[in-house]
Amino acid sequence: MNRASCVFLCAALFAATAAQAQNTPDLAALEQTAQKRHAEWEALAKDMNDRMSRILPCDPRALAAVNEVSRASEARLAALSDYLRAVSAKAFGETADARNLLSSEEKHAVEASLERADAGQEQTAVDTQSDALAQSVKQRASLEASQKLLTQIAAKVHQRAAAMEQQAGSADAAVVLLRDLVTKFEARDAALREEFAASEAERARWNGYYAARRARAQIECTITQIGASQSKGGKQ
Amino acid sequence: MKYPRLLLTVCFAAALIGQTGRDAYRQAYDTWQQAQANLEHDAGTGAAPQVAQADRSAAAAASFEATRLAYLKSSAEDAAQRRQILQAAVTRSSPDLMPPAVADLAAAELQTVTRAIAKFAEDKDRGIQQLRQSMDRERVALAALTDTIKARQQTVAATSAAAAALEQARAKTAAAFGDQTSQVSQTMAQMEMESAAWADYYEKLADAIQIANAPPPPPASVGTAAPRNTSASPVPLVRYVGEWTYPKVNGIFHGAQPESVELEVHEKNGHADGTIDARFRFSPGSGNDPSIKFRFEGDITATPTQKFTLMTSEGTPGTIELIPGPAFNLLEVNFQTDPQANKIRSGNFILLKK
Repeated sequence: MNRASCVFLCAALFAATAAQAQNTPDLAALEQTAQKRHAEWEALAKDMNDRMSRILPCDPRALAAVNEVSRASEARLAALSDYLRAVSAKAFGETADARNLLSSEEKHAVEASLERADAGQEQTAVDTQSDALAQSVKQRASLEASQKLLTQIAAKVHQRAAAMEQQAGSADAAVVLLRDLVTKFEARDAALREEFAASEAERARWNGYYAARRARAQIECTITQIGASQSKGGKQ
Repeated sequence: MKYPRLLLTVCFAAALIGQTGRDAYRQAYDTWQQAQANLEHDAGTGAAPQVAQADRSAAAAASFEATRLAYLKSSAEDAAQRRQILQAAVTRSSPDLMPPAVADLAAAELQTVTRAIAKFAEDKDRGIQQLRQSMDRERVALAALTDTIKARQQTVAATSAAAAALEQARAKTAAAFGDQTSQVSQTMAQMEMESAAWADYYEKLADAIQIANAPPPPPASVGTAAPRNTSASPVPLVRYVGEWTYPKVNGIFHGAQPESVELEVHEKNGHADGTIDARFRFSPGSGNDPSIKFRFEGDITATPTQKFTLMTSEGTPGTIELIPGPAFNLLEVNFQTDPQANKIRSGNFILLKK
């Protein structure tokens, strides 16, 4: 690959990474918003009944009070939904990365075992060289210094072959760990999906409750008006 | 010239990393094994051909070690890059967004409405019955809400537990990969030592064969048998002598970019001479002559870098440096000539042994 192609690829990669960074939602900001919406709703919701008990049933403020809390509830749960959606998107991205890593490390473990075999072959070759040189030293004493060096090299090659053996073992062990890790990533994602579904279910239930509360306020007004008209009719 | 030389070394390393892969080092290994076949067996009786074979084996061993090291380095860098994702803590949802106050509030509403329903239970008034029915619908909605809140609390707890288990596994896996990285670093260090040891070994082997074959000193002569390096150079002559070429791809250079370079270096009795035939890439219309040919000569000195005087085919004088490259089959060339209109004045590049 020529230099110009390298530069172009690097620029494209950087641009893609930067674009991705810009598109990544700020989880901390979304969490802060969700907490703020929750506090707003809680402040309104906890004394809704107290406030309504001081308002006459047909006073428009009664229905307005329920609507206000209902809106705050919806805003809270919408903010929570946005936050959980963003968390899930980021989490699912991590899981995809972990799966890719597993795939790469599985290939790496295969390569490590091949390298172990290569080191074994080098070990055999250097041993053969050592044996041959040992025979030659008998014919030519000047080779003794070379023989000494070759023996040292053979020891180094043996040491490295042992290290490669250990590395191949470590690579296999790491793949096992990674497989477990991917399973745990998937379990976390499944839990997040459940949490999101539960929050959406709760959102629907809160809306159902506030609808029922609004209906009660309207009934309270209706029966008060019936009572008032009946008492007016009695007086006539 | 220190800066360009450093740059060339860095570029060379980058180029090597570009041509990594197991096949590359396996091929280099096979070449080495072929080059050194039966060398130790023949060393006991061998002569000049075995000395040359030792030199070829040294070059092939250096090439293999360099390719293998480049492969290991590249592989380690790739691994470090892709394992970066294990360094950051995993994403989890905040349990703070499920405060107990939510459940408490729903439970309090449920109690209130249940009490109110009970209060109106015996009332026969039609309006009150309507109200009680509406409260009952509210109670049912609140009961369902309370159940979903509990369910969400359970899912939040489950997410926290799953994230905690995941985080623990991530840390464990990251630590395991950290150990692997340090093992690879140790292997690379071992290979570097092996590389130096092989160079030393072949040098000693060739010397031992040559010394054994040296003719006895003539009685009247003061001198001794000519050593393999007739010069004082601390580097084997094979690192300079021979035919060299500029690679067609991934060529390394500083300054003017060569298109092709052919170099021949000969040595006799500590004196070297040679020729260069080079062609450079210039932008069309620059008016510069892209070709240069020159001869050079001089004595081999006791330094790794050999400096000679040169004379171009047009009679312009200059100097040339031959610097052994990072592997046995690489040679850095650095030349300069006196200024001459529309002619190239300098060049710096790495050549590959043919």
